[in-house]
Amino acid sequence: MNLILIGLNHRTAPVDVRERYALSEDRAFTLNEKLVLHASLVEGVVISTCNRTEIIAVADGAEKGEEALFQTFDALVPGNRAAREHFYVHRNRAAVEHLFRVAASLDSMVLGETQILGQVKRAYALAAQAGSCGAILNRLFHRAFRAAKRVRAETGLGATSISLARVGVQLAAEIFETLADKRLALVGAGEIAEASLHAFHESGLRSIVVLNRTPEAAARLAAPYDAQAASLSRLDSELAAADIVVSSVTVDRPVISTGQIQRTIAQRHQRSLLIIDLGLPRNVDPACKQIDDAYLYDVDDLEEVAQRGRDRRREAMVPAEAILALELEQFERWQAGLRAVPTIRNLVARTREIARREAQRTLVRMPDTSDETRDALERMADAIVAKLLHRPLDQLRNEAADQGPAYYAEAIREIFGLEEDEE
Amino acid sequence: MTEFLHLLACALYSIAALLGLRRREWPEAARWVNVLLTLGVVGQGAGFVALHARDPLVPLESFPAALSLIGWLIPTSYLYALRVASVGGVGHWVGCVAASITLIALIGLVQYQGDPAAAEIPGGSWSHAHVLLSTLGFSLLALTSLAGLAYLAKRTALKRNQTARFGLPSLESLDRMEHVTLGLGFSLLSLGVLTGFVWGQSRGLSPWTQHSRWLIIAWAVYLVPIGMRIVRHQHGDRPARVVVAGFGFLAFSYIGIRLLGMTA
Repeated sequence: MNLILIGLNHRTAPVDVRERYALSEDRAFTLNEKLVLHASLVEGVVISTCNRTEIIAVADGAEKGEEALFQTFDALVPGNRAAREHFYVHRNRAAVEHLFRVAASLDSMVLGETQILGQVKRAYALAAQAGSCGAILNRLFHRAFRAAKRVRAETGLGATSISLARVGVQLAAEIFETLADKRLALVGAGEIAEASLHAFHESGLRSIVVLNRTPEAAARLAAPYDAQAASLSRLDSELAAADIVVSSVTVDRPVISTGQIQRTIAQRHQRSLLIIDLGLPRNVDPACKQIDDAYLYDVDDLEEVAQRGRDRRREAMVPAEAILALELEQFERWQAGLRAVPTIRNLVARTREIARREAQRTLVRMPDTSDETRDALERMADAIVAKLLHRPLDQLRNEAADQGPAYYAEAIREIFGLEEDEE
Repeated sequence: MTEFLHLLACALYSIAALLGLRRREWPEAARWVNVLLTLGVVGQGAGFVALHARDPLVPLESFPAALSLIGWLIPTSYLYALRVASVGGVGHWVGCVAASITLIALIGLVQYQGDPAAAEIPGGSWSHAHVLLSTLGFSLLALTSLAGLAYLAKRTALKRNQTARFGLPSLESLDRMEHVTLGLGFSLLSLGVLTGFVWGQSRGLSPWTQHSRWLIIAWAVYLVPIGMRIVRHQHGDRPARVVVAGFGFLAFSYIGIRLLGMTA
């Protein structure tokens, strides 16, 4: 079995390429389902965030698996072969390492940001729902979550954590003297919108309106912050009233056009308007950057601002890398231990079969035995087998995890006559 | 004594300007910039008072005295502006401008040997009012232009996504500083122009000297941002561009024509 990870992120592809591969949850779910229908792919998880689209899969063969994944990406955006230079491919150890780094936010645009772990968890949950996640990826993702939590708890990354939303607040401080008298229009009511709302509310901004296609979702998000909620149909009037616009909806084409922003700026008497586009595909027409007094930042632009906090957080990278290395080693030991699984499975089956057979033989000689006694006898036979095999099975697992010669496994196969079974 | 105090003020403003450049590595620098500017203002204020004790006497209407007053008013207005807006990030720019103007004033003072022509012309209260009002207006409009320049620099940096490049105050703070100083500066300049004409009339001189012509042009240019801001309530980079251009004319009417020998 081979682990293969193929994808593109903010380092390898500009936002206009990334947005073509960005997937909504529905599309990611469908893609997860399709992945395992491919002959060479056994398991697969699709991860799509505002900064990356990646697929990690377990494949029968490395080359076949890689080709299958590229075909999957090709199908997402017809004619994407020209964009292949933006993709990276990681196999086995490198793939595991990459996933650990992503989950722990060491590969994020904003080092130490808090949202990525939630996004990876969501990607895993979708794959589990779609049935594309098997034993290996289950174990791998749980290891990745554990590693990420340790990194946050045990290194300085947790203490200095920021998110793209907080970078947005920093940007607002470059434009506005105070946020207390400003108005924020949030377009979207998802996780990113919630993080933005929280960050701006924490910085003292109180006049907030949440706009969403479904006003109920907007109202749910707005309520705890005492903010207003409205339908997206009120976008024009809310734009004119807002000083800061944060947009994070999943759309195929921009929801905010150049014309809308030009009209808004004129109505505002050229007062500055900050627009933060956290959506992928982008929610705001990039041409708005050319409009005087409108300051538009998309996810790529935020990197410059994020850079300020990066040096401080970089100090926390060394212990974080050490934690990831440790977790990586443990996952590899577990993965190597899978070599012993057929032997263990056969040994357990064989010994249990013998024990039950002997129990049945005894019970034949005791015809008046009650059902409870029969069950108790069978359970006892199983318990004896489990106790007896406990140490040998541990030895088998450790031997496999150490990746050395399989002396114990060979000996056990020979002693218990398991060779034929395995074949 | 007055020369020494001007030299001291010039040195303090220069150190403030240099220290301001280090404020990102040393956050305490911003506070020291303000302390140095305050000390400079005190020193130069004393030097300005000492002008009256100088022999030969330097009249208020003379070029070095007017420049010294402007050099003093710019940091003073800035220190006052700090109390009404968050504009701390431009302290080093103010130090740089004040140091340059005070240095030119100092050179003028050292070279000043008395002006027989000025002695023949009766000054009186109109001349004092003209000089005081127009220099105060000039100083405030210098700050307006400084805020406008800083606004345009910051705007360009933000548009290019280089937010941390200059460490300037927020756009809104700069816009507010520009707005307040423009209103005050323009009012004082208008009074200065008016008293200048009255003074000229009282001396029986032609009102159309090179200085007055350029001053009128600068005053007229300032009508544009005043109209934009007060009548049309405009903010942003357009008024900023016009105040920077307006100060170019104003500086020329005060300093340029003297440096080019166009005084009449």
